[in-house]
Amino acid sequence: MVLWGAAMALAARSALAQQQPTNPAALSPRQANYAWDRDLLRASFSYRDVLTDPGLTNKLSNGLRMVIAMRAYVYREGQDSPVALAVRSCEVAYDLWEEVYRVHVDDPEGKRDQAVLDVKGVLRLCAEAQNLPVVRRGLLTAGVEYFLGVVVEINPVSQEMLEQMRRWMSRPAGSTGIAPTNALFGSFVQLFVRQVAASDGTLTFRTQAIVP
Amino acid sequence: MRGNRTTLTSVVLRYVSERAGDLLDVNGVELELTRFRLLGTGFFRDVQLSLQRGSRRGNVILIVDVVERNTLVIDQIWLGLASDVDPSGFARPLSAYGGAQATETNLAGTGIALGGAFAVAENQLGLRVRLLDPQTFRSNWITEAELLYNDARAFFGDSDVLVDQPTTATAGSSAQGAPDFAVAQYKRFGGRVSIGHDLGISSQVFFDYRLEKIDALLPPAASDDCGADVCPIDFMLLPGSSILSTLGATFTYDTRDDPFLPTRGQQVVASVAASLTPFGSDYPYTKVVARGSQWFPLSWGHVLHLEAFAGVVSGDAPLFERFYVGDLSDLLPDRALDLTFDRRAAPNFLSTDIVENLYGNYAAEVDLEYRVPLYRGRRSIYGIDVFGSFGLYGLANDADFTQHPRGYSGLATVPVDITFNAGLRIDTQAGGFVLGVANLVGFIPVHGQNQGAVR
Repeated sequence: MVLWGAAMALAARSALAQQQPTNPAALSPRQANYAWDRDLLRASFSYRDVLTDPGLTNKLSNGLRMVIAMRAYVYREGQDSPVALAVRSCEVAYDLWEEVYRVHVDDPEGKRDQAVLDVKGVLRLCAEAQNLPVVRRGLLTAGVEYFLGVVVEINPVSQEMLEQMRRWMSRPAGSTGIAPTNALFGSFVQLFVRQVAASDGTLTFRTQAIVP
Repeated sequence: MRGNRTTLTSVVLRYVSERAGDLLDVNGVELELTRFRLLGTGFFRDVQLSLQRGSRRGNVILIVDVVERNTLVIDQIWLGLASDVDPSGFARPLSAYGGAQATETNLAGTGIALGGAFAVAENQLGLRVRLLDPQTFRSNWITEAELLYNDARAFFGDSDVLVDQPTTATAGSSAQGAPDFAVAQYKRFGGRVSIGHDLGISSQVFFDYRLEKIDALLPPAASDDCGADVCPIDFMLLPGSSILSTLGATFTYDTRDDPFLPTRGQQVVASVAASLTPFGSDYPYTKVVARGSQWFPLSWGHVLHLEAFAGVVSGDAPLFERFYVGDLSDLLPDRALDLTFDRRAAPNFLSTDIVENLYGNYAAEVDLEYRVPLYRGRRSIYGIDVFGSFGLYGLANDADFTQHPRGYSGLATVPVDITFNAGLRIDTQAGGFVLGVANLVGFIPVHGQNQGAVR
């Protein structure tokens, strides 16, 4: 139990480096099913709509790896700092020759590889949280409302990679002007540097409250 | 390759590191980097990679889908008010100046950038054309060529100048009395070729050679008050035709997280240029310049920017290579394409002899800027910040170190002044804009702003 709590705290700290919802209470609401497994809170919810964009759905079959990363932050109602975090990531790659989707899931319950035949199978494995271990009761205050603030990202780019790419793009070849009047090619990069988005798609929502 | 209607396939393939026959790792980062590299060219609005079955089991075909974008970009626009001088040397309280520079970043789909710029003011014109190949002969070398033309004027002295103007400029002066300023007229025509290379992801080095012909029409003689004395005016140009030829090198180090509204990172630019006097240059000089900036994100969301600049010119550089007070003070118009739009000296808030120096061989500046983000967006306007800045700068010539102007004493012999600005920085889809109050505040007279005043 000590290990579990430490792991959760570590995960929460590392995830703080990524983008958290700035105002989690104001996120669009979504229903989740909660269940207590002894003193462990488990949650089940769907985020299949992260792949409603046909472009993203088609991308599932392009033969390259697609990552669907879900972060569920546990918030005390009225506060913006999470008390815990559960992470679930799913990597999908379509095998062009075997004509199956190879799925690798990584969540608090371990890592597993599966092959599915169609996009429905991918959505079932990668766009639903089923009995996801969320937080130990000991980390929560009895009688107080908590909720999950969930961020789902398609192909998230690591913060380090993102900053590296933005630096690279913000310094185009030839922008050697030392004076502002000499930077003939200095500013056009602003037009595309924003295209280095943090992910191909993002979905955020909050769940209804639960009182431990 | 699909979707590249203008951009040549060979140009796109330069940025794709994978080659036929390579082992492809679909889980590796190389494919992601390929996509970023293509987006980083600025030629495409979108880039998507995908795989298709190849001719044999286990083989795949890498498909690159691109959506091209408009690559004609307005880089910069200048608009402002200045106080200049008419051709006869009489002061004009207000005059307008302007200019713009634009670049086609993917000329005929070749990946070569073609840029042009102009700047205009009363009786002044500056033109630039620049061609840049970011991957010369498919190598990692960047080459650049620039043509320049300037029909320029420079203003010297103040209301008590004594000048023997060229015949063409004195026609009106006899009727209106003695001119207020001495005016140097000159034309420049020439070019520059550069070659550069990345030293890493954040640094780059460039070497350049420049050759120019300068035709100057100068008053045969002119003098002006300098402190308690009257001194001859040095126009810093050779009369008639002369040649300028230099070799230079520039190093840049840039880790900013954003080109216009950075919140963190550093930028260092250092350059050295030396005139090639043995090969025909008429201006023997060496110029060394260094500028460093650091942005600090503050925990409450604001940004602090610290910038330092220093430069030295050793020898007899032409005046457009000297440091100019307008480039140091926010309260005076900067030079654009090397054109000087304003005749005024430093505002001189500190009552020093900097008022004697329009141009200098030594310059240094320290600036502090505080920025408060007001708005962030993802469509036409990316960000609006309000800013306030404060700086201290110095501009000196050799005489300021050896024999400062008579009439100044104590700290007044240290040619320094303060500068400040406040306003908005607006980052938009069309480029970055700065709306500052300093240009207007600069028209409010400050004591000691007239050159030649005795302290």
